[in-house]
Amino acid sequence: MDLNTLAQGIFALLTILVLAPLFAGVINKQKAIFTGRIGAPVVQPYYELKRLLRKETINASSSSFISDIAPAVNLIAMVVAAAMLPVGFMKPLISFEGDIILFAYVLGLARFFQILAAMDIGSSFEGMGASREATFAVFAEPIFFFTIGSVAFADNLTSIYDIYHSIRLDNVTYIVFIVVCSISVLILAVTECSRMPIDDPNTHLELTMIHEVMILDNSGVDLFLYQYSSYVKLCIYAIVEASLFYPFAVQNSYVAVIIFMVVIAVLATTLAVVETVTARFKLKFVPQYLLFATAIGVLNLLIYTFTK
Amino acid sequence: MDLFFYSLAIQLSALIAVALLRSNRAASAAVHLLLLAGLVSGFVSTLSALIFPADQPLSFNIYGVPPDLFRFDALGLYFLAIVQLVAIPTTIYSYSSLKHYIDKGKSVKQLLAVYPILLVATQLTVVSNHSILFLVCWELMSTAAYLGMVFEKEKKDVQTGSFYYLVMNHVVVFILYVFFFLLHRHSGSWLFSDFHVSPDTGSLFILLYVLALIAFGMKAGFMPFHFWLPRAHPIAPAVFSSFLSGIIIKTGIYGILRTFQFLNPTPEWLGWVVLAGSMISAIFGVWYALAQHDIKRLLAYHSVENIGIIGIGIGIGFIGSAYQSLPVQVLGFGGALLHTLNHAIFKSLLFIGSGVIYQNLGTRNIELMGGLARRGRFFAILFLVGSVAISGIPPLNGFISEFIIFNGFFTTARELKNYYPLLMLISTVGLAFVGGLAVACFTKINSIMFLGDERKEIKHFHVSVYDYLSLGIFALLCAAIGFYPQPFVRVINDVLNRAFIPGNSSSALLNINWFYISLIFLAILAGFILIYIWKRGMNKKYGRKILPAWGCGYERLNPRMQYTASSFADQLNTIAKTVLGYHKKIKPPAEIFPAKNKFESHADDFVDSKIILPWFKKINTFISRIELLNYSDIRYYVAFILIIISIYSLIGFLWI
Repeated sequence: MDLNTLAQGIFALLTILVLAPLFAGVINKQKAIFTGRIGAPVVQPYYELKRLLRKETINASSSSFISDIAPAVNLIAMVVAAAMLPVGFMKPLISFEGDIILFAYVLGLARFFQILAAMDIGSSFEGMGASREATFAVFAEPIFFFTIGSVAFADNLTSIYDIYHSIRLDNVTYIVFIVVCSISVLILAVTECSRMPIDDPNTHLELTMIHEVMILDNSGVDLFLYQYSSYVKLCIYAIVEASLFYPFAVQNSYVAVIIFMVVIAVLATTLAVVETVTARFKLKFVPQYLLFATAIGVLNLLIYTFTK
Repeated sequence: MDLFFYSLAIQLSALIAVALLRSNRAASAAVHLLLLAGLVSGFVSTLSALIFPADQPLSFNIYGVPPDLFRFDALGLYFLAIVQLVAIPTTIYSYSSLKHYIDKGKSVKQLLAVYPILLVATQLTVVSNHSILFLVCWELMSTAAYLGMVFEKEKKDVQTGSFYYLVMNHVVVFILYVFFFLLHRHSGSWLFSDFHVSPDTGSLFILLYVLALIAFGMKAGFMPFHFWLPRAHPIAPAVFSSFLSGIIIKTGIYGILRTFQFLNPTPEWLGWVVLAGSMISAIFGVWYALAQHDIKRLLAYHSVENIGIIGIGIGIGFIGSAYQSLPVQVLGFGGALLHTLNHAIFKSLLFIGSGVIYQNLGTRNIELMGGLARRGRFFAILFLVGSVAISGIPPLNGFISEFIIFNGFFTTARELKNYYPLLMLISTVGLAFVGGLAVACFTKINSIMFLGDERKEIKHFHVSVYDYLSLGIFALLCAAIGFYPQPFVRVINDVLNRAFIPGNSSSALLNINWFYISLIFLAILAGFILIYIWKRGMNKKYGRKILPAWGCGYERLNPRMQYTASSFADQLNTIAKTVLGYHKKIKPPAEIFPAKNKFESHADDFVDSKIILPWFKKINTFISRIELLNYSDIRYYVAFILIIISIYSLIGFLWI
């Protein structure tokens, strides 16, 4: 790895880490506008993170060492996952044959400790959230492999960077492929990042939430780490989605950046519109919804089979 | 390899100690010391033979032992190393667990006598070269495990559970007799080194494979034949259930790999059959586990899952063999071999951990536990290491072997083209799905057992130094293989080159960028430590308080209001309720002031209750119908057995 790629990788990672809260802020702002409010400024998430940093930490009386270490594990897992993603034309910091597997499993590491930390409180609220998180994650995992994985198997590439680079537009089936993939990755992003219609990031009704209820009893720097990790996670899935549209700009790296920005912006608007017009699903319909996304993934397979 | 036999002699001399020493305490100390000395010296000799095959004579010179009775080829040595490596910490734990029985005034002579026999027989099984010797050792190993299992024979579930195990063993050995007899007929020799059947023999080849897969698959616990695992594991003393799950079911894997050595190249469809069967084992093994409340039963189902993952590797290897593709074989069998070692390590850790909990709490029901993390913090960390490792999560060893298998999928798709990318994509999704379910299952048991408040008051919780030592060795091994996999992968590559795939020149296993992966794992660890130190600093600066959890204003939360294991897993279990046989019994509260109510949930294994048990019942009715002579005295039956054996031997003599 030469110095140039290294610098690019570090720059890409820093871009994600710095801009992640902004992405959430943009979604919130648009949501506010759609519902006829003025809304908080787009940099509001930064203010909230800053406020959290200066608060006292409170841990539940039944909590153990898990509550202590889980926020740190969560963040480092997200950072490592973010380091594997290409931003625009930049080569990611971590890139090797088979990193697609590591990407999925590092997110699994974050989930493992998030669930444990929730159960560590010993309250039923957190228990409900943890149970839902574990259940939905089981059905979300196949979606990732059916979409990004099917592109990987199409060209026998196992590195995320190479996979995204292999998407070509000289073949009309690839366009269909991208459309199908982008739908199921959107559903995946919505599930994994606990947005509507799976989860409502705004309510404070503990019985209806997933991610928010898992961190209900956290405060101070712990909550800072959790919130920041969830912003990074949202950004990660946005990039997983946006990179699918990368091929439009293979010739020119500056165009790539512009397209990347446009796709991210469109994605933010999509999320905001979805959150404005839909209500949360009943929890028992969520697995069906995810299986629907998996079924779309199977569609990928069929496309693949017929084009080969 | 003379040292190996001397080490066996040291281990066997433990039996003399049992016979001579009258006091339980002294006998236990002597037996475990001798076993440890024997195992460590044996392990050193095996390891040096495995790593430096050139310097070590793999032959031996022991008076009275014919030289072709044993063979120390790479495959045998690899399994021998696993047995000895895992047996060392298990033996350390065995000492402390027997002390508990002795303190209660129970005689442990039976276990002390059986355990060395079990160890020696298992070690001999994986290196014997003569079919009859193999069968004798195999039978000795199974019987010794059975005798250990029935230690608490006054309990009803011990009687039934061990009976299933015994029946399974008899069926396996019966099939193996036929298997080796057919091999002998074909090759005219009893020696493993002389066996070779090519696929040209047609029906014989297929018949042999079917027999081997049923017999060894039953011992290993593949899905339709897994019925004995959840029955036998919970009832055995912790040492034996750990040995059963860590080592004995791996002899089934050893058997399948040996069979491959005799019978290759495999036809393509066989690879598919093994792959599909293993995938079913993996998915439903972990799903059944999710529905269990008994910690040992749950871990037993997890063995079914992990055997499935090993089987997936073997299936890939078979497909590679059918196409004569070296990289596919190397990655498939390599992943299977490494996962065999990994599973032996973390499953032993978890079983020993559950044994320690059982000694302290006197229950295996996880719904009655909770809050153990604050009682034994270090113990909770060790158990957590095992749980993270078995879920295949980086940066521990479970991820490494699953990563090799995933690489096997990708390589198969690349090398074999055709419809394989499609098939391998489905396999990838399947294995990822298993990973997701394993996360759900192990977060469940860790959080219910260790976190939150104590659901039932714990009077004392004591973990002895020996327990910590034993668990610590396993946890260190998990971390070592996870953070620094190169040497282990190199040994496995060597094993494949030397014994398994002759003329192998593929370096697919070594070409994976292991150094890079180690680096990333170290970065994860370093990053975690940095963030954690920073967080502690912030805590110090702005304060940290311990307060009761938020209860919506309700002040009197009690431990019984915590989330239970059943409710945690309910949603996932309900989705698969037909297959799991998951059903709940609940009477909804009717009046304004509801009376005391009860809730039950059960998961009957579908394969078990709908397929295996009715089949057993049918055999039973059939046999009782053809029963000619019904005597209540056991001596008549012994006489019958003798007569039958004499007739068999007569036929044998006349025929040969």
